[in-house]
Amino acid sequence: MSRPPRPPEPPALAAAAPALHRAGLLQAAAALLWVPQAALLALAVARLARGEGMAGVLVPAALLGLAGLLRAALDAMGGRMAFRAARSALAGLRHDALRALAARSPLDAGRPASGLAAAALAEQAEAVLPYLLRYRPARLRAVLVPLVLLLAVVTQSWMAALILLFAAPLIPLSMALVGLRAKEASEAQMLEVGGMNALLLDRLRGLPTIRAFDAVEATAGRLRAAAEALRGRTMAVLRIAFLSSAALELFSALGVAMVAVYVGFHLLGMLPFGTWSGWLGLGPALFVLLLAPAFFDPLRDLAAAWHDRAAGEAALEALARLAAAPTLALPGAGVDPDPSTAATPPLALAVSALVFRHGAAARPVLDGFAMQVAAGERVALFGPSGCGKSTLLALLAGLALPESGSIALGEVALTAESAAVLRGRIAWVGQQPHVFAASLRDNVRLGRAGLDAAAPIARLLPAHDPARRVGEGGLGLSGGETLRLALARAIAAPTVGVILADEPTAHLDRATAADATEALLAAAAGRTLVVATHDPVLAARMDRIVRMPA
Amino acid sequence: MSRWRGLLDVLRLFLSGRRGRLFLGAVLAAVTVLAGVALLGLSGWFITGTALAGAGAAIAHSFDVFRPSAGIRFLALTRTAARYGERLATHDATLALLAALRERLFRGYAGSGAGRSLLARPSRLLFRLTAEVDALDNLYLRVLVPGVAALVTALATGYGLGLLDGRLGLGLLLALLLPGLGLPIALARAAERMARRRASALEALRARGIDVVAGQADLLMAGRLGAQVAAAMAAEQRLARADDELNRMETTATVGFSVSGTLILTAALVAAAGLVEASTISVPQAALVLLVAMAALEPFAALRRGALELGRTALAARRLAPALEGERRPPRVDVPPGGKALCLREVTFRHPSAAEPLFAGLSLDVACGERVALIGPSGAGKSTLLALLQGEAAPQSGEVAAARRAVLGQRTELFQDNLRGNLLLANPQADDARLWRALEEAQLAEVVRALPQGLDTPLGEGGAGLSGGQRRRLALARMLLRDAPLWLLDEPTEGLDAANAKAILTWIKARPRGIAIFAVTHLRREAEIADRLLRLEEGRLVAGWRRGEPGFDAALAALRPD
Repeated sequence: MSRPPRPPEPPALAAAAPALHRAGLLQAAAALLWVPQAALLALAVARLARGEGMAGVLVPAALLGLAGLLRAALDAMGGRMAFRAARSALAGLRHDALRALAARSPLDAGRPASGLAAAALAEQAEAVLPYLLRYRPARLRAVLVPLVLLLAVVTQSWMAALILLFAAPLIPLSMALVGLRAKEASEAQMLEVGGMNALLLDRLRGLPTIRAFDAVEATAGRLRAAAEALRGRTMAVLRIAFLSSAALELFSALGVAMVAVYVGFHLLGMLPFGTWSGWLGLGPALFVLLLAPAFFDPLRDLAAAWHDRAAGEAALEALARLAAAPTLALPGAGVDPDPSTAATPPLALAVSALVFRHGAAARPVLDGFAMQVAAGERVALFGPSGCGKSTLLALLAGLALPESGSIALGEVALTAESAAVLRGRIAWVGQQPHVFAASLRDNVRLGRAGLDAAAPIARLLPAHDPARRVGEGGLGLSGGETLRLALARAIAAPTVGVILADEPTAHLDRATAADATEALLAAAAGRTLVVATHDPVLAARMDRIVRMPA
Repeated sequence: MSRWRGLLDVLRLFLSGRRGRLFLGAVLAAVTVLAGVALLGLSGWFITGTALAGAGAAIAHSFDVFRPSAGIRFLALTRTAARYGERLATHDATLALLAALRERLFRGYAGSGAGRSLLARPSRLLFRLTAEVDALDNLYLRVLVPGVAALVTALATGYGLGLLDGRLGLGLLLALLLPGLGLPIALARAAERMARRRASALEALRARGIDVVAGQADLLMAGRLGAQVAAAMAAEQRLARADDELNRMETTATVGFSVSGTLILTAALVAAAGLVEASTISVPQAALVLLVAMAALEPFAALRRGALELGRTALAARRLAPALEGERRPPRVDVPPGGKALCLREVTFRHPSAAEPLFAGLSLDVACGERVALIGPSGAGKSTLLALLQGEAAPQSGEVAAARRAVLGQRTELFQDNLRGNLLLANPQADDARLWRALEEAQLAEVVRALPQGLDTPLGEGGAGLSGGQRRRLALARMLLRDAPLWLLDEPTEGLDAANAKAILTWIKARPRGIAIFAVTHLRREAEIADRLLRLEEGRLVAGWRRGEPGFDAALAALRPD
């Protein structure tokens, strides 16, 4: 089976590999304990046939039980060992992905959408476990166990071994088919489930529209029809996919049946060849028969785990994409700076010869930009959309480093080393402040120790209870309120000497915008304020307007 | 046992339709397992019989080899065919169940109360909804099907060996049922709490992952991004602990099955020896007993996974139960008295979570053909008023009446469907000619005609594939198809650039005067299409101006230009 070359395994996976291998060997050993068990069973029946009765059976029975217990213990040990290794590999993969996500600059255009990233990190990553726990050991067993069993069979009958060998090559053949088809099938199934879910969510989100058109009945019917159509398509794929795995079942079942029939005819003297000793006898014959199904079991397990492989590899790929090095790195990523509570005086800003471009864009969005802002000054960056106001603001906030040129806050130059500490002195009011699913108080505090959230809430959101829960995406907060929340976040820390606000009045009605402007100006008292805006009313309220070239 | 009660409801729902298909899957599963057991048993009997016959050469020729060997081949083929059929039947049944379930859920949520609370939910909970639908297939695929197959096997093998010796059959049946059912039941009970904890840890990991990405800048500036990553990892650790507990339980159950299997086999060997000694059974029959006993517990082990996830399934069933409990009728909006397009009388409305009512005795009339814009600061209750007019919310007291209406919202609700499907929503009876006329009128026909698939062009989620302006025009075409005397506009050009917005508004303004328009807005350009402005503040109508009256232009001018 040829496979496309795969990228090297991530370190978290490589670290787990030895333990997984050892665990696989343990489980293979457990499977191979069937050889002595089969021998004991065969011996016991042979003794019965010789008329030894109960007395001849007791010792084999006791040994059989012991072997069974040992087998269970080995299998459980291997299973637990594999689980621990695989689970810590998964934790490592998730950790790497999270760290890499946090180390990306918010300006990085290749940054994944939050929903997609979270899905890859949470639900999809779950598929790594079955892949490591079922598919990998099954692969190891499929190589090891049939070989040993074949050797055991050969010691008794080369003909029976030949039958098994004859059936076995047909199995990789059908496996190849299974591999191809099962991949299709699992993809089709994922598509099916994903498609049906997406369809239901899509219609549920648009429920008011559907009700407004009195189309509930029609939509329910359509939903059903779509689901049934998808079912039809999936079943068409599955019919073929299952057919090829049925071929595998068929060969293994026929393999066992042929061994049984051959051995039976041999014992009757009708097929007097195929053994080393002339006539096989009951014990060896039963032994061979008992090993035959076990010969095919690992292959069947592997086929059953094929679906785990497709899903697992897709999950590993998705995690690797998250963990990939960012195209635009966040300066000073990785550690949170030590919380400082020392009040910061208003800071001056000095920007010179700033050049920045998005990705590999030909034209820099900022090309030699320079600006000075005095400590405590209030400045509007004014210009049409796309002129680079927001980018400049993000650079000032230390969210990315410029291609060339320099930024200094107070006396300190903004570099990868200083960025984390400097960010502690800057407050950022973005275009879409994120509202966490938590209380208003926690949304202001953001887990910063020793911070008083009550005062900023009382000042900026006086009508709201600090304990009130606000939801993901700003449930229950209007645009103006969300902005006020961001401002409360900004002024809650005494360490803030600069407030940077990106289009704070966009999407607000006039009264709310005026109100928000006052709140912003009040919050900026005793601090430097830089506002990016295309709202002339807001710009006019600043001390100075810096016009950005289009 | 209330935590399992939801499962019964889902089971009832499953059994209410397509019983045959569900049954077929389970029966084929049982046939597969039984054929496998019989194949082994028959092979053991056959070989032992032939060995004994072969040893005494005289009777070798009288041994009928053809019937048993034909039986072995037949069982091998039956097993393969039944397995194939089982996989097809169970997958088909599962997909059909999920299809029916989704339709049922949609109808359930389409009942007003549930639907509105659903929409207020953040997308995280909507996501959870789909995860819950998926969790339900566990019940059929991993509990019912293997359960039926295992039980049938136990009964059939118990009966079969009972024909040889009654005590042997009964003993095997009990030895199979005790661990076979006991272990999965114990596992399901032990794992229930952990399975729920696992589900909640996974949700937390997902939510915190979203916060790391969507809230990155906010957290970073607060110096708390590292802490948020740590919080996400803490959720992952919680998940890992739950995973580990569940794996430990599963391993214990596996060991339990393995040990039980060994004990059954050993006991069967001793019992068979005793019966052979007593000449109750022959040696070939003893071999049959052994091989059957060896294989008969195996199907019960397949119940482990279902048992492990049963807690999660029960949780999902319980959460979905309200929506599955049959249909609710959405509140009807009354038809207004003659000459009026909409009419509110002494309406009092309080949000369920609010202490004070938003509207207390609100009254409002819009005449047929009149064009009214409702203005006011955000939070004044404009959107709630629209919700009342659409029957999305019901007033605590007072009357709400509105004519048959068409709605154009802030977000144009287009669906994952083709263009035709999106248009037909408004009027399922419309033929293609009618659709084209509407597109023509909405000035979108040219664009659609240029698409290679025309009306069959599929649209992505939220109408992806069309530009913002085109999406709005498609929504306009849909409004035309609806043929309603009242249009409710909710900030209809929000998010559109000036040129597109102007084109859309000019178009709306040029509609025949027979259509009443009630627009909610804070933009001057949108309010300009009205003949009457109403100002809403904190749930009260504080002012109104008709075009030409003093104050009308001033009120317009006070709105936000854009």
